Amino acid sequence: MGTRPLSDGIFFTCALPSYTMLKEDEIYRSMISWHAVASWTWDAQDETCGICRMAFDGCCPDCKLPGDDCPLIWGSCNHAFHLHCILKWVNSQTSQAHCPMCRREWQFKE
Amino acid sequence: MADATAAVCNLAILEALSGDAVQEISESYVGFCAATESLLSGIGDLSAGSEMARHVHRLCKYQLHSLVWEHFLTSLEENFERNGAVKFWQHFEPYRDISISEVDRSHVCDDQIQEVLCKALEEISLENQYQKKCLLVLVDALQTYKDQVLPAKCGAVTKKEFLLSKYQLMISSVLMASLPRHFPEILRWYFKERLEELSATMAGESTDHFDSQENDEMDVDGNNRMPSESSRMDIDGGLHGDFSENKLIKNIGKVVSDLRGIGFISMAEDAYASAIFLLLKAKVNDLAGDDFRSSVLDSIKEWIQAVPLHFLHALLSFLGDSFSYERSSDIKSPLASRPLSCYPGSDNLSEGLVRWQLRLEYFAYETLQDLRIGKLFEIIVDYPESTPAIEDLKRCLEYTGQHSKLVESFISALRYRLLTAGASTNDILHQYVSTIKALRTIDPAGIFLEAVGEPIREYLRGRKDTIKCIVTMLTDGTGGNPNGTGNASDSLLEELNREEENQENGAVEDNFNTDDKQAWIAAACWEPDPVEADPLKGSRSHRKVDILGMIVGIIGSKDQLVNEYRVMLAEKLLNKSDYDIDSEIRTLELLKIHFGESSMQKCEIMLNDLIDSKRTNSNIKATIGQASQTSTVSEDSGNSLDILDATIISSNFWPPIQEEVFNLPGPVDQLLSDYSRRYTEIKTPRKLQWKKNLGIVKLELQFEDREVHFMVAPVHAAIIMQFQEQKSWNSKKLAAVMGLPIDVLNRKINFWIIKGIIAETMDQEGEGHIYTLLEGSGDSTKNGGDGGSCEELLAVDDEGEGSVASVEDQLRKEMTIYEKFIMGMLTNFGSMALDRIHNTLKMFCVADPTYDKSLQQLQSFLSGLVSEERLDFKDGVYYLKK
Repeated sequence: MGTRPLSDGIFFTCALPSYTMLKEDEIYRSMISWHAVASWTWDAQDETCGICRMAFDGCCPDCKLPGDDCPLIWGSCNHAFHLHCILKWVNSQTSQAHCPMCRREWQFKE
Repeated sequence: MADATAAVCNLAILEALSGDAVQEISESYVGFCAATESLLSGIGDLSAGSEMARHVHRLCKYQLHSLVWEHFLTSLEENFERNGAVKFWQHFEPYRDISISEVDRSHVCDDQIQEVLCKALEEISLENQYQKKCLLVLVDALQTYKDQVLPAKCGAVTKKEFLLSKYQLMISSVLMASLPRHFPEILRWYFKERLEELSATMAGESTDHFDSQENDEMDVDGNNRMPSESSRMDIDGGLHGDFSENKLIKNIGKVVSDLRGIGFISMAEDAYASAIFLLLKAKVNDLAGDDFRSSVLDSIKEWIQAVPLHFLHALLSFLGDSFSYERSSDIKSPLASRPLSCYPGSDNLSEGLVRWQLRLEYFAYETLQDLRIGKLFEIIVDYPESTPAIEDLKRCLEYTGQHSKLVESFISALRYRLLTAGASTNDILHQYVSTIKALRTIDPAGIFLEAVGEPIREYLRGRKDTIKCIVTMLTDGTGGNPNGTGNASDSLLEELNREEENQENGAVEDNFNTDDKQAWIAAACWEPDPVEADPLKGSRSHRKVDILGMIVGIIGSKDQLVNEYRVMLAEKLLNKSDYDIDSEIRTLELLKIHFGESSMQKCEIMLNDLIDSKRTNSNIKATIGQASQTSTVSEDSGNSLDILDATIISSNFWPPIQEEVFNLPGPVDQLLSDYSRRYTEIKTPRKLQWKKNLGIVKLELQFEDREVHFMVAPVHAAIIMQFQEQKSWNSKKLAAVMGLPIDVLNRKINFWIIKGIIAETMDQEGEGHIYTLLEGSGDSTKNGGDGGSCEELLAVDDEGEGSVASVEDQLRKEMTIYEKFIMGMLTNFGSMALDRIHNTLKMFCVADPTYDKSLQQLQSFLSGLVSEERLDFKDGVYYLKK
């Protein structure tokens, strides 16, 4: 804003031009910070985990904190579960584990 | 009459009497009567004594002793009644009226009374002494006769004693019988004046003479019953009296002994006791006053020691302390047995003094206690400062044991002064906490606290904002709250903090909460019913838990409290522009200790979200460098991503959040989507959903003559940004651009109108308003017009609509599920009482969603329906509105 007029007298003559001139980046100059709020959500097709019936955006019964601490995992069949839930399931199966939803052979996606 | 009696008495021996003997008896009796008469009437002249003795001897010869002394006493009585008593009372006749009205006694009157009293007493004791002498003449006469007849007999002393006591009795009964009503008043008043004089002189000298051992002996002669007393006074050194004081005490002693001489023992004692008590009361009132910041008990005790006991000591020793000795043998006070170092005199004296001391101290305790109980409400209002007064009260109550008085008086004070519609809930809570703390000092058992606390709890339960206030009290006071309630609200957190410290100390001592599990167990063990808990075994920290427990006890369950806290915490966190949550973490940790970890789980996740957001935010910022090279979209806005921070929440664990949809200005929208794209890159299958109405924007508005800083809600920022491109907007158009309904926009834009940034004018063409951006010069008056940069940091909008749905709203939302059930029930049954609706719901709504609301919650929901005019409520039953 270095070109700002210094006295009222000058101001009236050049107020508009200066305004339009600064218009392009005025918004950023006048905005010091913007603190926004968002909520995160797992980009899964379903709402709840098919195993524990808890919300995906929540956490599995063994966890306390949702999000990074209790991630989702997708199988090759595109069904998502809480990682902890499906691991428990997979580990409990003696032979090859199947997806609890579609009974297809369980493979972790990628 | 006397003749008749004599005749009857001597009936048996009348037969044996000869005519001469009868003659002689009657002659000597007449002589005796005459002698008696002359003896009694002749002041100071005992010459009639020998004459009388002769007649007495003769009468005694005929065994007529009793006749002799009875007659003598009767005439003494008559004489005394005629002369002494009447004259004595006549002295006080002028003061009859004065003594009734206590107030307007002047000092002149005081001196007069003193004079009159002394004079009267002197006169009467002179009279008394003379009569005693007369009596002694008679006794002598009787004695000499006896000695002649039976030289070996030794019953004479008893005869004398008997006659003297008979005489004393007679005198006092005569005086008592003719006692004017105002005389005790005069006495009391006399002692009061003297005592005040005495205490004044003592107060004057006690400062300089305190430990100087003075050797001037108290002039206590003239009363040789107690020759040892004067020397004792030197030994104990407690009597540092100088001449004036001694004289004063001597005067008083004289009066008292004179009073005793005429048989007014109890009246005199009454009088000076009441005078002392009056003085003591005045002194206590004077010392205690309305100042609760200092302890007065000790100074009162000191004063008792210095003035009234000193006085009593002098008085009792002056009088020889005979009467208190007599009484002290049968009733032994437990305290009297303790060794008295300060009065190592003879037992009887010190025992009398101890008795007095106990009496005085009890009285002082009681007076102070009454005084403090009367002011207990005020004392508790400024509690931490008034601790000395509380301590005093505690000691007094320990002594007097009149706790019930305290409870009654305090409860009525509470009812009258605190539990009224005018008192704010915050004040009541604060007073409640202070009461708990103060009464805990007085009564560690908590019994009276329970009684006192109940009305407050009862009352608070009826208030709607109780929970909110409690949570505010719990969480505020961390310094982040600028609106002045700091001193009222910091107490509880302070309490919690202190307790935490205590527990830490305890951990060192007994390995208390070294591991989390144990801490959890300790927290889980804690149950809200601490009133019954035995505080004797509880450590200090236990007691602190008590306070919180008693507060939770107001609400009934901690769940409600936790829920309210969650809502408030959410509100607070969402309005944070930095990620500084240290104080919240601390509060949460403390709350976890008290309420258990599981109930605070959601709050913990909320805080965790903030911590995660901070990390994610900086991660996203860190990728800007690389991203700006690859990405083409953010070419122009890449560097501006710096200004965007985000709080990313796990919405499942937060209270329901009120959403509001509006359009953000293009660049900001661009920023947000940029940000969320980066987020998705980092946290792959997760994505962001912006809550556009939440958050906080720092703005700097630059005008030609000033800069103004604001912290506003996003919606306000979005509005003002629209004015950058176009300085004036039609409200309809602006609403369309903003994507807001017009009425909402009008409400929101008010914020800027109030701030003087935007002006509102009516549209000439039709409905709607024109909003125009005000350039600087228009309102330079507002800012003092000094041109330069004027910084203003304004608080977030105070429109009173929080970003988080309040607990009531949540409840209403949950209850609407049951609305249909209720409506159906009422259609079927016509009308139902609250209880019945509640029970029916409980019975039928067992499946998803289970009915788990309390009766109170149902009631408030139903009253909501009533106010919406969907239900009718009459005589305790609900109807459908027709």
